Order: sequence, then structure tokens, then C-alpha cells
Amino acid sequence: MPTAKDLQALGDREVVELAKAGKEDAYRELLRRYERPVFSLIYRMVRQHALAEDLAQETFIKVLNALETYRPEYKFSSWIFKIANNAAIDQLRRRELDTLSLDGAPDARTAEEIEATALQATDHGESPLEELESRETGAAIERAIGRLRPEYRTCILLRHVEGRSYEEIAEVMDLPLGTVKTYIHRARLELREYLADLKT
Amino acid sequence: MDKQLDHSDLDVLVIRELSRLPNLGPSREFGDRVMSQVTLPRPAALVLLHRAGAWALQPRRALVLATTYATCVLLTVLLAAPWVAAHASFFTLGASWIAGQVGGWLDTAVMAVGSWSVRSGLVAALRSAAGSGPRLWATVATATVAYAASGYGLHVLLRAPRRSDDLAGTL
Repeated sequence: MPTAKDLQALGDREVVELAKAGKEDAYRELLRRYERPVFSLIYRMVRQHALAEDLAQETFIKVLNALETYRPEYKFSSWIFKIANNAAIDQLRRRELDTLSLDGAPDARTAEEIEATALQATDHGESPLEELESRETGAAIERAIGRLRPEYRTCILLRHVEGRSYEEIAEVMDLPLGTVKTYIHRARLELREYLADLKT
Repeated sequence: MDKQLDHSDLDVLVIRELSRLPNLGPSREFGDRVMSQVTLPRPAALVLLHRAGAWALQPRRALVLATTYATCVLLTVLLAAPWVAAHASFFTLGASWIAGQVGGWLDTAVMAVGSWSVRSGLVAALRSAAGSGPRLWATVATATVAYAASGYGLHVLLRAPRRSDDLAGTL
């Protein structure tokens, strides 16, 4: 029986196989690996803590109860991000929350959320002025992400926050690779314009 | 604020700031909440057995099953009885053959144990023990007391509540 440390050393596919065999620790390891990335993605999409948590929970329950249907030729991360993204997009379509995101995340509760939606941690060695500027820029980028179209938002978050490849993003979003590249390019352009307005 | 940022500077800034965005976490009980709604897979045979057990253990179904079983047994016996009576000699012959086989095996086993007892000196030891009355009685009494004590100990152990039950009771 693999220990928690052994599980951490395994790849997603192996952990999924163990979970399919009924090992509860393997389920918890998948949860541990993906709860933050999935929650972050959903939270930055819907920008409401309780709603994001409900959608993240719904995503995990759906994924973990359907592990039997997981096809190992695809990346597990693509699968779970796809379900999370669909949940967030459905929610946005239903409630049109994307229009509410202009003001950032008013319900940020924890220090982490406040920092993520308002202030940014900075590198050591920055002067107080640079630090202030960086914090302002960090808050601005959160607001700017909130202004993007949901599709652009998913692309830019998966690419630059989660560090996923273009191919994986295309898989997650069921879009051609070229479209993903275009979306990311346009999203960066919009973010750049937004920051340029801010800086002038 | 720097007002002289060109497009490439802004690109760098955007990518840098995006990469700095932290991964946010849900509440602490998130994992437990998810796991409470996840069904862990179990072997198919075990699942079927549990389902069959749960189905059969419902009072009405159990009664129906028991009645059906009893009816089947009764019908089988009733239908088989005339045939058994018509072939009584066959059964008698078969029964005596089986009895002969079993008797032969028992006979052989008893003889083997007997000869081993004599060869190993067990019989001689028992004879000498029986010869000395007080020693024999002391041995029998010790064995009886030990047996009774073991029985009582087991009884006490089985009646004692389990620790987890105790703890559950305090919560």
C-alpha cells in the first residue's frame, strides 16, 4: 500500500489507477494536487468565493465519481480543468456574472484572496516606490482579467497562471490550437491596453 | 508612475504580473466535503453480494424467500420419495458400501493411534499416573480449574464493551 509520500512521487495517471482500485488516499492526493489550481481558475472566472467553492466542489465530485470513464490517453489535468471551466462558463452564462467583475472581488475574505484581488506580493530588492507600483499593477491585472471575455480569461489564466501548454488549453477548451493562440494574443493585447491606460 | 512604457515593456509587465498571481485555496474543510460525496469503487462481486444481502434482508422479501425455499425443498422431497422407494435396494447397497468404507478408515485410524501410543510409551506413562492416585487427582483438578478459569476469562472479555464504543458514548 503506497504511503502519502509515495503517492506524491507518482504521476497523475498512476494515482488515478490507484484511485480506480478503491484507494482513498489516491483520491485525496488528486484533491490535494488540484484543489488550488481548480479553485483559483473558477474563482478568477466567477469572482465570488462561495460560488467558486461550490463550483469547485461540484467539479471534484463529478470528476472523482467518474474516474472509471477517464481515458488515460488524455492528461488528467486537461480533463479536470475542462470540467471546471465548463462549470464556470455555464455559471457566467446563467447569471451574467462577467459583467460584475469590473469592481474586482468584493467578497475577498482571506488574506490570500485580498492579496490576489487587490495587492500583489513583490520581489525582494524593490524600492518602496517600485513595490507600491507593483502592488498597484497586480491589483490592476486582476481587474483587467475580470474585464476580459470569459474565453480569453480562461486561456490567459491557464497559460500564464497555471503554466499550461497551448495544446493542453486547446484540449481543455475544445478549440483549435490557432484559436487558442489568437485568444491569448488578444487577451494580452487587452491587458496591455488596460495597463497602458492605467500608467498614463 | 512610468509614463514612457512602450508595447514590449507592457508585454513583459503583463506576463510578469500574470505569473505572479497566486494560486488561491478553498476553505479547509473543502476536501472532506468533497470526499463525503465521493463513492469509492468496490469489487463488483462484493457490490452484488451486498445488494443481494440488502435486498433479501428486508422482512417481507426474507419471508417470501424462506417460503419459496421451503416449498421447493418440500416439492423435491415429495417428487423424489416414490423414486427413492422404488430404488430402495440400490440405496441400501450404496449406504452399506459407504458405511464399510468409513468403518474401514476409522478402524485403520484407531489401530494406528493405538500402536503409536504403545510404541511411544504414552500408555505406560498413563498407567503409572493412574497407579499413583493423588497425582492423578491433582492433575485432573488442575486441568479442570484451568479450563474453568479460561472459560470465565473469555466470558468476561466478550461481555466487556469495546473502547471505541465507550468513546462514541461520550461524544
